[in-house]
Amino acid sequence: MFSRFFKRKKPAKEQNKSGLSHGILVFDNTSEVIKAEKLIKEQGFCIKVKGPPPEIRTGCDLVIEFPLIEQLNIKRLLETNKVHVEQIIPVKDHLLKPVDLYSSRDYGDYLMVRAANMKITVEKASRTVVNISGGGCPDVPFLARELIGIKLGEGPQPRELGHTLCGYALELAYEEIKRLC
Amino acid sequence: MSEILDARGLSCPQPVLMTLEKIKQLGKGELTVRVDTQASRENVSRAVQKQGWTVEEIKEENDEFSLVVKKE
Repeated sequence: MFSRFFKRKKPAKEQNKSGLSHGILVFDNTSEVIKAEKLIKEQGFCIKVKGPPPEIRTGCDLVIEFPLIEQLNIKRLLETNKVHVEQIIPVKDHLLKPVDLYSSRDYGDYLMVRAANMKITVEKASRTVVNISGGGCPDVPFLARELIGIKLGEGPQPRELGHTLCGYALELAYEEIKRLC
Repeated sequence: MSEILDARGLSCPQPVLMTLEKIKQLGKGELTVRVDTQASRENVSRAVQKQGWTVEEIKEENDEFSLVVKKE
């Protein structure tokens, strides 16, 4: 009868003994992030590409958040494949929390998703891309020309067309808007 | 007489969405879209062309653009 008063509090999921659950991998440049993301995902680890926490002043505009429990495996995997990690940082307080790359805005018949520096807007009813903006990379006009008018899931994806940070960010936005639409 | 759509002061993608709504409503004819950034100028031009409209003229004055778009 009293057992419910003495219920042990369940430990938070995926936390290790020190109370840390995630860490972030900081890289020198975006192409290392893209390489690392591909390698780690291929091995089935659950990771997320995010923006660096404001306190991190080194590295590039993207970091990879990973389960801390897999630190050794991921470190070994990247070393074997010669992907250089600038820093591995356990996320222990809110200041070191990586920033979510995504934001979205509903415009009624249209939905816009932003990932890092790129925005994609889709007409919800037809799932057709109506606008691509943001960036500052030379391939943005090309990406816009190729993708506007295309339905999500049909035709080329940004990753097949662009090779810059903007192309990569647009791919993230594209995947997110596909999930939302 | 061309209809005028004032999308100045709005950030992307709002000028594009307003323009798409307007041309959908008009069906055909002539529309002048006023924007105040280079990015909006390019995005609106691209969006209307994808809808089968043509950009007849772009006037630039004091960092603002007036795009005359048309469909016969």
